[in-house]
Amino acid sequence: MQRTSKFSLFDIINTLFIVFCVILCLAPFLHILSVSLSSNAPIMSGKVTIYPIDMNFDAYARVFSDATMIRSLIFTIILTVIFTGAAMVMTTMAAYSLSINNLKGKQLFMFIIVFTMFFSGGLIPEYLLMKDLKLLDNILVLILPGLISPFYMIIMVTFFRSTIPESLNEAAEIDGCSDFGKLFRIVLPLSLPVIATLSLFYAVGRWNGFRDALFYITDQNLYPLQQKLYQMVMNNMISEVTLSEGANAIAAEYMPESLKAASIMFATVPILIVYPWLQRYFVSGLTLGSVKG
Amino acid sequence: MKALKRVGSLLFTVTLCFALIAGCSSNSSSNSNKGSSSSSTNNNQGSSNSGSKERVTLKIEVFDRGNAPEGLTVTNNLMTQYIQENFGDPNNIDVEFVAIPRSEEINSLNVQMAAGTAPDLIFTYNEGAAYSWAQQGGLTDLGPIVDEHGPNLKEYLANSLQYGVFEGTQYAVVARRVNLQKYSSLIRKDWLDQLGLPVPTTTEETYEALKAFKENNLGGQRTIPFGFALSPDSYEPVIWSFINEQSDEARYLRSITIGSREYPILMDGHKDALQFLNKLYSEGLLDPDFALDKDKKKKEENFVNGYTGIYSFDTGQVFGNGENSGVMTLEGNVEGAEVVPVLPWTDFEGKSRQPAYNPSGMYIMVPTFSERAVEAIKYLNWMAQDEVIQYMSFGEVGVHHDVVNGYPVRNSSEEDQKLLFNPGDMLIITNGIDFGSSEKNNEYMALSVVEKHRDLATLSREYSDKDAVSQPIRFEKPLDSEAKYSVIMLEKYEELLVKSIMAKPDSFDQTYEVALKDFMDTAGTEVIQERTAMYEAMK
Amino acid sequence: MIRKNYVFKHWQLYVMLILPMAYFIVFKYMPIYGVQIAFKDFNVFKGISASEWVGLEVFKDIFSQKGFYVALRNTFMLNGLDLVIGFPAPIILAICLNELRFQKFKKIAQTMLYLPHFISWVIIGGIVYQVFATNYGMINLLLENIGIGPIPFLSEKSAWLATYTSVGVWQSVGWGSIIYLAAITGINKELYEAAEVDGASRLRRIWHITIPGIRTTIIVLFILKIGDMVDIGFDRPFIIGNVMVREYSDVLSTYIYRIGLQSGQFSTATAVGLFQAVVGLVFILTANYVSKKTTDEGII
Repeated sequence: MQRTSKFSLFDIINTLFIVFCVILCLAPFLHILSVSLSSNAPIMSGKVTIYPIDMNFDAYARVFSDATMIRSLIFTIILTVIFTGAAMVMTTMAAYSLSINNLKGKQLFMFIIVFTMFFSGGLIPEYLLMKDLKLLDNILVLILPGLISPFYMIIMVTFFRSTIPESLNEAAEIDGCSDFGKLFRIVLPLSLPVIATLSLFYAVGRWNGFRDALFYITDQNLYPLQQKLYQMVMNNMISEVTLSEGANAIAAEYMPESLKAASIMFATVPILIVYPWLQRYFVSGLTLGSVKG
Repeated sequence: MKALKRVGSLLFTVTLCFALIAGCSSNSSSNSNKGSSSSSTNNNQGSSNSGSKERVTLKIEVFDRGNAPEGLTVTNNLMTQYIQENFGDPNNIDVEFVAIPRSEEINSLNVQMAAGTAPDLIFTYNEGAAYSWAQQGGLTDLGPIVDEHGPNLKEYLANSLQYGVFEGTQYAVVARRVNLQKYSSLIRKDWLDQLGLPVPTTTEETYEALKAFKENNLGGQRTIPFGFALSPDSYEPVIWSFINEQSDEARYLRSITIGSREYPILMDGHKDALQFLNKLYSEGLLDPDFALDKDKKKKEENFVNGYTGIYSFDTGQVFGNGENSGVMTLEGNVEGAEVVPVLPWTDFEGKSRQPAYNPSGMYIMVPTFSERAVEAIKYLNWMAQDEVIQYMSFGEVGVHHDVVNGYPVRNSSEEDQKLLFNPGDMLIITNGIDFGSSEKNNEYMALSVVEKHRDLATLSREYSDKDAVSQPIRFEKPLDSEAKYSVIMLEKYEELLVKSIMAKPDSFDQTYEVALKDFMDTAGTEVIQERTAMYEAMK
Repeated sequence: MIRKNYVFKHWQLYVMLILPMAYFIVFKYMPIYGVQIAFKDFNVFKGISASEWVGLEVFKDIFSQKGFYVALRNTFMLNGLDLVIGFPAPIILAICLNELRFQKFKKIAQTMLYLPHFISWVIIGGIVYQVFATNYGMINLLLENIGIGPIPFLSEKSAWLATYTSVGVWQSVGWGSIIYLAAITGINKELYEAAEVDGASRLRRIWHITIPGIRTTIIVLFILKIGDMVDIGFDRPFIIGNVMVREYSDVLSTYIYRIGLQSGQFSTATAVGLFQAVVGLVFILTANYVSKKTTDEGII
């Protein structure tokens, strides 16, 4: 993209604009970070904005010394990796077939899939299904039901259709390449951006999601990290029982804001670093000098 | 192409039908499971009467709050082991705890009820949910079982069992609630001293004090004389103090139960109450953003920063959390700040008439498809013994707690935290610890407060007891319309409050009437009708 | 005949579809019998089959309530605002990011920009209050200092619409731009070079190359967005909304929430969901049809 080194007015305005957006997006995050590093009194007084006050690492010490948090982190990482891999395989298989213009029955298949984007049975039938399939309290219940997102699949189909030139496919076919071959040798190598993007989307979706686990999992070893976090943040907002704790609250501590914030950071930072790592795949495959014209 | 489309749509329809049929059959199979288990319940009850020799499993719900200490889970820890050793083993029962996330408890239970996988012993604070399950025929009648297997329990819960009786049937065992104080208020003594004013004891005096706070900007630019948020702890005490009719009949016919609180919407004086708040608002005596403060955080923030003159709160809240309590933070932020308890609002008889809790805590139930109703009651009955209550609240002396001033005070040691990280969720038959008298209980509660504020906290609690009225007033069962409209009514009431309070004083009348009419039209009228009918039937 | 030949010739394509289709049938279609709940007086203990059939009673009840129509109107209104403002935003951001000259900055910026996507709405709610509160919010305090009176960002209905939409954009624009950035990488670089040689300015290059280059992506995402017009998340309206703006902030998702714990809750919730599903499907099929006719792009 960098051809000339002329710095135009456009560049200046553009850069300023992006800087402005970055500040807006970064500020709340800095706020949470600051709260996680501050002491209780300034937090309660609302004095903490985007830098810590009375800085201390107590909250993080607590989080990192909690073995269940660490275990949940590891479990969630493994879960996310497995899920993303499986989801991408399934989605790619479906998307590739459906991206072939001449596929007989394509419209029917697409309709069947799009239909599921709108109609669903609801919580109770889905729960009953998981129960009947013996998936409750099983890691598979966090993998199988979400294997293909029609939304992402459609994005992939669109990408295949619009970025892979017909000419390439035709050339391959003339060379005697099978459908499988075309997928592996031509389409996939050229589709790194969309594969990277959708992998990111699936991974983040699985990482951040816990609503399914809330209902399907009671075994605490199988809690996704965000579920532990959610309970920490939400459960202490219920007043009836905190009142009932009464004197038992001598030893039982209220959940300090800083601990909540530290847990949020703990649960969020790992997934944040996935994107920068994936950015290297955001290059066009077409510049590899494939077909002219 | 056309033929393909036809085949396609046929295939699709067939698939859909297949799905429906498959779904139906799987559902009916789980239904038939329920069918067979309810018949075997009767059989089992018979055999367990004669002393069951087979080992059975009792599944008990426990809330999961994500705070189990390291190495332990909320379903398998020192306390669960204690229970197994002291209740399970002697009775030939395997006790199994099932974790339900606190924040989704109703949905979670609903789903598990539908699937027939719910634990044998379930509980909730939500009376509406309990009643809804009772209405659907999903709860076991616990009356006879308690009579036979729960003598301790019956005695222990003498005051609260009645709350679980709907239309004559004991659908739920209701835990007792020990500490009934609901709301408290504190006032800045240092501000009063500066103005040479005494602690107000009537509504008029309170008003004068608030005005003086404002005129003198005692909290700086952002002085908020009356810390007020859109939450019951702010508005309930004020509103009830304006009500001029306090007979049972008036409450039955002219107030409405929304959720677990009683709202005197049609009672004489309700409009006056809102007019008073309107006056306060227009004179700048309330936080102008009060309607946005949904989680009360801002109210607390204003208090600890020293902007607030009078602060109302759920009893105990501002003293909780030891060194990090609201009062400690205030004193840390503002030099010379001093607070004392106050009863700001007095009614037409000069009394405080504050709301108080009913002596009822959790609703504990057994689903009909469970076969372990007897074992469940036995469990609760076992729990209702002094030594069990003692252990489940305090552990062992010297190990988990020390004796201070004659009271067991937990010592925050590692042992203590491992055993007693969730006593409120395990000792479900009581909400709070009862030492036999109100004074003793207050004294005990104060022990959790930092030493220099203990007297203050105790006094504050005593103030909350003064002229307190148990609410809500109950019929013999929850009302269908109140259950149906509980969320809507709360929303409409909040609209009534906010609009009336923030209206310009000359348009107060009109705004109030319009909003009240909206409330009544949406749900209020139907509810009042049902209340009236039930009241007539009661007479 | 041709059909059969095609299937034989391209059997691999169909094999690749077996597992995905099985997935959809098992996990998506098998539970669909649950939509019956909308036609029943659902009793959690009797189960779906044994609950009493009430036909269209539930729907009649819903359609007779004024609150439903207010919620429906608001759903369209809020989604409409999101469409007009929130749909182009990620595209513009992606283009701007793409035009950045410093690669390092571009990479860092991308990572910062999607941070809001990871903050839960509960937290965002607290921050929004601190920033936008009418009298003591950060922005209004600033405005007061420079002489402009407070703006009721959260307490006045129309202003609230702007706040609602802006917060939504802030939360999603960074994340939403990722897909467009990925699409932009698919554009042939030689086109840019050629255009530059021809003397086209930056803006012209963007207009004539970048945007058409991601045209398909834009259209497909637009169609999908149209399908979502009658659906709305619960979190944002609930958390950003408040008592004073309920007339605009009450939407179908919050409408379902207030139904509360009466025994009919499942029936009503399912009925509303079914209504949304039908409307949504109609919307997306229509959008797809129109798109195919006008731009030759579509999803089905």
